[in-house]
Amino acid sequence: MTAQASTSVSKSRSSSIAAPRLTAEGDAIIHVENLVKVYDPDIRAVDGISFEVRRGEIFGFLGPNGAGKTTTIKVITTLIKKTSGTAIVDGIDVDKNPAGIRKIIGYAAQEVGIDDELTGRENLRLQCALYHLPKEEREERIAELLKAIDLEDAADRRAGTYSGGMRKRLDLAMALIPHPKVLFLDEPTTGLDPQNRAAVWDYIRGLNEQGMTIFLTTQYMEEADRLADRLCIIDHGHIMAEGTPASLKGSIGADVVTLSFKTNGVANPNATAKAALARIHGIREIQEVDGGIAVYAQDAPALVPQLVLALNDAHLDIAELTLTHPTLDDVFMKYTGRKMRTEEVTPQRRTPWGARRRRPM
Amino acid sequence: MTAGEFFGEVKSIAGRWIKKTLRRPPFLFFSLVQPIVWFVLFTAAFASVADIPGFKESTGTGSYLTFFAGAVIIQTVLASAMQSGVGFVTDMESGFLDKLKVAPIHRASILLGKLLSDGARILLQTAVILILAFALGVGIATGLLGLVLLFAIALAFGIAWSGISTFIALATKNSESTLMISLLTTFPLLFLSTAVMPKLLLKSPVSDIAVYNPITYIADGLHGLIITPGLNWSVVGLAFLIIGAVGFITLSATTTMFRRTVSA
Ligand SMILES: Nc1ncnc2c1ncn2[C@@H]1O[C@H](COP(=O)(O)OP(=O)(O)OP(=O)(O)O)[C@@H](O)[C@H]1O
Ligand SMILES: [Mg+2]
Repeated sequence: MTAQASTSVSKSRSSSIAAPRLTAEGDAIIHVENLVKVYDPDIRAVDGISFEVRRGEIFGFLGPNGAGKTTTIKVITTLIKKTSGTAIVDGIDVDKNPAGIRKIIGYAAQEVGIDDELTGRENLRLQCALYHLPKEEREERIAELLKAIDLEDAADRRAGTYSGGMRKRLDLAMALIPHPKVLFLDEPTTGLDPQNRAAVWDYIRGLNEQGMTIFLTTQYMEEADRLADRLCIIDHGHIMAEGTPASLKGSIGADVVTLSFKTNGVANPNATAKAALARIHGIREIQEVDGGIAVYAQDAPALVPQLVLALNDAHLDIAELTLTHPTLDDVFMKYTGRKMRTEEVTPQRRTPWGARRRRPM
Repeated sequence: MTAGEFFGEVKSIAGRWIKKTLRRPPFLFFSLVQPIVWFVLFTAAFASVADIPGFKESTGTGSYLTFFAGAVIIQTVLASAMQSGVGFVTDMESGFLDKLKVAPIHRASILLGKLLSDGARILLQTAVILILAFALGVGIATGLLGLVLLFAIALAFGIAWSGISTFIALATKNSESTLMISLLTTFPLLFLSTAVMPKLLLKSPVSDIAVYNPITYIADGLHGLIITPGLNWSVVGLAFLIIGAVGFITLSATTTMFRRTVSA
């Protein structure tokens, strides 16, 4: 957990400076090139994607349902065979030595894989055995992880009696049992309440600070924005954009005004609006998106009056108008033409893992 | 991966299944109550079978209960073995199989551990039946060695037969299909064999079919061990031979299907 210290120094989560481009192959712990996965009969779940994950970073895969996130993770973690392309983890090719990869990774699936008829502790014990931890280290490791995910009180109850959030946390602990070099988390916070989500974020960040490389998928913009050093936006099996959250937001280079219209009278409000706004000076781009249009402009606040007037002249009734500085939502919209749902997180937590903590079991 | 690691993996995986089985109330219920029901119902209904001329001469016992003990073992092993595959279906559905697949273990230990746990469960159920039979006054004519062979037949037969349901489970990925096929096959196989009726009393065409039913030879082996003093090695040997042949087929098929499942 110390070897990666030098690389983690160079990254800065809060600053807006983009991380330096990858220079040597040695930087990358995961290397994926032209990866294709076609399911029977002819579903191109992943359609030729290439990316690299650097040693010691948190790398995010952001995309909506069916984008191909899980499929990609399953190929890299040796669970399914790819159709074509290359996937290498820490210098090991998934085709040549899958067993070698299994030794150095931890994986928490999207659907938790825990045994409901065993207790939390027994699940962890089994995992210790499967990863060949020395016998004398096992109980200590289990106690440490139970404490970290705040499941000490429930450790000796059957996992079948756990809440969704507790199951997700137990599954995370299972993935951490072997001290993996690379941790794969497929939607680690889906289904968690805001408190639990924030606690998982803190925990993931802590693991990363100790040097663990983390590959996570998410449907939440905010999660990607807060956690990932770099991320890929993936949709329909293609990578639509790649970069640091800051550089992706910067790539829009403009404010975004999103507009939607009431449907009274006008046959095609979006097209009408585009035509009506075309003459306005200062608009960089107009894009049709789900349920409306997005207008990109350098100084949008100054343009809003003109926009409203022009739309009014075209007999369009505005249903909603929002003006934002670029967010990952806008990045997603720009590259896919669709909106993604976002969830707000309000971390007003009393205990690290939320209020469930001391409830009698 | 060393042999020690492999052994440890198999032990942990088998231990997991045994723990799960013992925690399931229906298992304990059926393991105890079902044999009791069988003993009581059948021996009450068919006690007079033993009075039919020729029964005693052909079977070696004048008690239908003693004859029937072997049938209860077979029925229980068949029913139990036919459930074996269901565990794989639940593991596939819950995602636990993925957890096993992504761990740095010999994948063979996933199957081997499961089959060994099935064997252990069947041994336990056989022990319950034998205790019950002793309580009802049934003795083992071949003594301690016979008892050991009895357990060995139940174990080997159980594992061989578990291969069938495991194959169906892996092929269909569906627990209903797995259980349906079990229900549809258990009783015909049992009643079209010499398990519940001695050969002498079977009429054609049942007697003709029974010759081709592997259960017949396993039943003959068990009946022999329970009833006939002095080990008849040819009967016992034939039972093991048949089990070996059945096991070879079912376990090869299961292994092939398992490889396909885990390498997908
Ligand atoms: N075993 C499978 N057989 C056939 N098609 C599949 C299979 N698994 C996934 N797919 C399809 O592949 C596509 C990508 O699925 P994948 O699970 O990788 O998406 P995802 O990005 O993880 O989505 P989600 O956010 O819903 O988890 C989808 O269209 C899905 O229907
Ligand atoms: Mg997924």
